[in-house]
Amino acid sequence: MIGLLLVTSLVQAPDSGGFDHLKHKALFPSCTTCHGGAETKGASLWPTESSCVACHDGKIEKAVAWRPRTTPRRSNLRFDHIQHRVAGKARPAPCAACHTEAGEPRMAVRPPVVGRCLDCHGIRTAHLAAADSTCTTCHVPLVRAVALTRSDVARFPAPPSHEDPRWPGREGHGAVARGTLTTNCATCHAQEFCYQCHAGGTPPRAIAALASDSRSTALAAHRAPASHGANFADRHAALAATGTASCSSCHIRSDCLECHRATAANAPGYHVAGFLSRHPAAAYARETSCSDCHSERSFCAACHQQSGLVAERGLRTGFHDGNRFFSAGHGGAARQSLESCVSCHSERDCLPCHSAVGGRRYNPHGPGFDAERLRRKNIQMCTVCHGTAVPGG
Amino acid sequence: MKRLVVMLLLAAAPLAAQDYRLRLDARVQSVSFRGVALDSILAGAAVADSVGSLYTPDGFAVVCLPGEAYCTYFRPGPTLVGAPLVTTVGGSVWGFGVRGLSAHGTARFGADLSSDDAWPGTDPAVQLVEGYVQYAAERVTAKAGRQIVYSRLGTTGFDGANVTWRVPRQHVNVAGYLGWGLARGVALPVTSPALNPLDDFQPQQRQIIAGLDADWTARLGEARLLYQREVDPQARKFVSERVAVSGSVRPAAGWTVSGGAEYDMAAGWWGSADLSVGYATRTITGVLEGRRYRPHFDLWTIWGAFSPVPYHSLRGSVSVRPSRPVQVHARGEVYRFDPAEVSAPLVPYETDGYRAELGATVDPKPGWTIDAGYTREFGPGAASVGGGGSITYAPTRQTRVTLYGQAHNRPLEFRYSESALRVLGFDGGTDLNDRVRLSLGAMRYAEERRRPDAAEFDWTQWRLTAGITWLLARGGDLENLPPAVRRMPGGRNGGER
Repeated sequence: MIGLLLVTSLVQAPDSGGFDHLKHKALFPSCTTCHGGAETKGASLWPTESSCVACHDGKIEKAVAWRPRTTPRRSNLRFDHIQHRVAGKARPAPCAACHTEAGEPRMAVRPPVVGRCLDCHGIRTAHLAAADSTCTTCHVPLVRAVALTRSDVARFPAPPSHEDPRWPGREGHGAVARGTLTTNCATCHAQEFCYQCHAGGTPPRAIAALASDSRSTALAAHRAPASHGANFADRHAALAATGTASCSSCHIRSDCLECHRATAANAPGYHVAGFLSRHPAAAYARETSCSDCHSERSFCAACHQQSGLVAERGLRTGFHDGNRFFSAGHGGAARQSLESCVSCHSERDCLPCHSAVGGRRYNPHGPGFDAERLRRKNIQMCTVCHGTAVPGG
Repeated sequence: MKRLVVMLLLAAAPLAAQDYRLRLDARVQSVSFRGVALDSILAGAAVADSVGSLYTPDGFAVVCLPGEAYCTYFRPGPTLVGAPLVTTVGGSVWGFGVRGLSAHGTARFGADLSSDDAWPGTDPAVQLVEGYVQYAAERVTAKAGRQIVYSRLGTTGFDGANVTWRVPRQHVNVAGYLGWGLARGVALPVTSPALNPLDDFQPQQRQIIAGLDADWTARLGEARLLYQREVDPQARKFVSERVAVSGSVRPAAGWTVSGGAEYDMAAGWWGSADLSVGYATRTITGVLEGRRYRPHFDLWTIWGAFSPVPYHSLRGSVSVRPSRPVQVHARGEVYRFDPAEVSAPLVPYETDGYRAELGATVDPKPGWTIDAGYTREFGPGAASVGGGGSITYAPTRQTRVTLYGQAHNRPLEFRYSESALRVLGFDGGTDLNDRVRLSLGAMRYAEERRRPDAAEFDWTQWRLTAGITWLLARGGDLENLPPAVRRMPGGRNGGER
C-alpha cells in the first residue's frame, strides 16, 4: 500500500529548548540577534552558550544549561530559512509569520505553525487533508530525511484519505500512486513499505520509482479491504479462484501455503482447531474439495490404516459392520461418496465383482457414463475390466 | 562431477552479494493412541444375535462375505506412539545481477521419531514442494522448475516451465505451462512408491501436463478461463482434460457476485460449479451460494467409470457485528445428491443432508477474545452434533495463548460407531524477536467409541506440539516477519479483527 502520510510537528525540531521567549521579549528586539543563521549564510541558527551565560552566570541570574544543537534536525521539512527568505524577496515573511499563531504577541514563539505554512502557500484544507500533490511543497522524501529514526517514522499520522474503505484497493491508493508518480508517496514511504504487500509479482511501476529505505517498514501496511469483511477466510475461495491477479497485489504465495498445505504436526491453519474430531461428516459429503490438498491414496489411507479403517485384505475387513449386507448393497452409497471409499479401498477391492472378464461381472457404470468418449480418451482404463474385448473398441 | 563442484564454488562468490529470505518452520508432535489389529474367525464359529448380526464368541461384530471361509473384525491392538517431526523450509534468493531474476524453493522434511513409525505423511522424508527460477519483467514472467498452479481445477504441481504474458492496458494476463505433472494433493509424482496402494494401476511414467490460463481484470470484476490436459506419455492417452471458467463482479459497493464451473472433457460431464452473491461491510457480511460438487478422478484410475454422482447445495452465511466487541455468525447448508440409479434394497442410505452452525466472537477487553459455536451436521455416511469454544489472551502483539475445547457426538451410518468426543487443549506462541517465533500446544483428544459389541474401546490420546519459525534474511527489504503471514486479513489465526 502506498499512501501519503504528511509529517507534522511530531518530527520537527524541538521547540525552544525550554527557553521562554515571551519572558525575554524586552531583551531581544530582533530574532536574528540569537538566530543569525536564519538570515546569514554560515552563521549558526542557535545562540552560543556564552550568549546565555552573559546574564545567567549564577550570580546575576541563575545558571542555565544550554548547548546549541550540533546534529541535524530530526525532520523531513524542506524548509531552509535563507532560501525561504530569498524566494520570498518581494514579500519576505517575518519570523513571527511562522513561529506564532495569528494574533499572538511578538515572541510568543512556538514551533512552526503548520496552518500558517498552509495559509501562505494557498492550501485551504487541514494539514493532513491537503491534496496529494501538495506534500512536496514542504516535505522532502523519506529517503532524504536521514535524521529520522524508525520510531519517528512509526509515528507518522495517517491522512484521512487512507481511512477510506477503498484505499487499500487499486482504485484507492493505486490510483493516487499512479497519478502522482509516487513523488508524494515518497514523503512517507519507500519501496520496502510497498513490498510488505506487493511481494507476489512484478512490482508496479509506481513502486519501482520509489527509493529504497528500510525505515519505511516501521509503518504497517496491512489493512484488510472492506470487501473482505468478517470471516473472509471462509468465503475467499471463489474470489481467489477467479482473481489471483487481484489477490497477488496484496498477498504473497506463502500467505496461501500458510493454510493450504497438508503438513503433519502443523498447527491449525485451514481447518479450525479440533477439526479432526468432526472430519468424517465434512469429508463424506465433501464440504470442500479435500483432494485439492490431500491425496486420498497417501494422506487419508495412511492414517485410516492406523485406525483400522483400511481394507488391507480386500473387502474382508470389519469396518462396515453396521449392516451385514453392506457389501451386497453398497452401490448407492459408493456413487455418492466415492472419494471416501477411495480413502480406504484400492481398485483391486472392487474388481473381483465389478469386472467384465471375471468375478461376478456387476456393471459399475451409472448415470452420465459416456463409454464412447472414455474409450477415445483412454482405452487403457477400459481394459482393466474388459480386457482386450472393450465394447465398441 | 568435479566440474559441477568447481562451478558451484565459482558461483558461491557472487552468491555472497545476494539478498535472500529463508523461512524455517519446524514442528514436532508426540501422540499416543490405541492401535487396532485385524483378526478373523472361521465363518462357522460366528454366532448370530436375535436380528441376525454376526459376532465372535467373545462379542466382536464381524463381517462375513458370502462364500468366504473366514469372517473378519478389528480388535484393540497395542498402544502406538507417533512423534512426527516436520520441517518446512521456504526461501527466495534474488540479486543475481539481472533485474527481475530470482529463485524460490519450498521443501518439506518429515520423519516419525518414534519406533512405531505410526505417523502418515512422513514417507518419503524429503519432499520438494516448489523449486523454481523466476524472471519477472513488466510484461512477462517466466518460471522454470517445480511449481504449483492454483486454479479452479485445484492445485496442480509440475516440473516444467510457466510463462505469463501481461497486456497492462487491457488488464489481461495469459499464461501457458508445460511439464511433467505431480499427483494430485501431494508433492510426489504418480510413480512414487509412497502413493501405494496404487499397486497394479500405478503409471510407469509421469504424465505430461499442459495448460492455458487467461484472466482479465476490470474495475468491476474479473474473469478467468483455464484449459488443462494431462497425457500419459507411455500410452499416449489422456489422464485428464478439463476446462474451467470463473468470474466475479462487483456491481455496487459491498456487493460481489462470483461463480464458476468446470467441465470434464474426458468424461463428458460437468464437474463442480457454484454461484454466489456476497455482501460485506465492516459490520455485516453475508453470502448466499448455490453450488454443485462432483469429484474428479484421473483416467489412470477406474473410479470415474463408477459414475460418481454430484450433489447440489444451497448454503448461506451471515456475520453481524452489532457492537464493536461482539460478532455473531451463522451458516447453513442443505444438499441433495443426484439419483445414483442403483437398486440396493438391502442397504438403505441417506441421499441428502445439512450443515448448520451458530457462533459468536466477543472481544471483552483488549487482548482477550472469546469464541463459541454450535454445529450440527447430518448427511450420508456420517453426522456430527456438538459445540466448542476458545478463549484467547494476547497480552502483546508478540504473544498469544488460546485455550479451546470441543464436544461432539459423531455417529457413522455404515458402521457400529457413535463416538463421543471431548477435546481440550491449548495453543500458545510468542515472537522472541522479529525473526524467531516459538509455539507450543497440547490437546487431550478423548474419544469414546460406543458400540454394541466388544470393540467398544476408547481412542483417547494426548497430542503435544512444539514449533519454531525462524526467519533468516539479508537485504534492505526485510525488517520483520512478512506481515501478510502473521496477520492474514480475516484469517482464523490472529486475523485482524
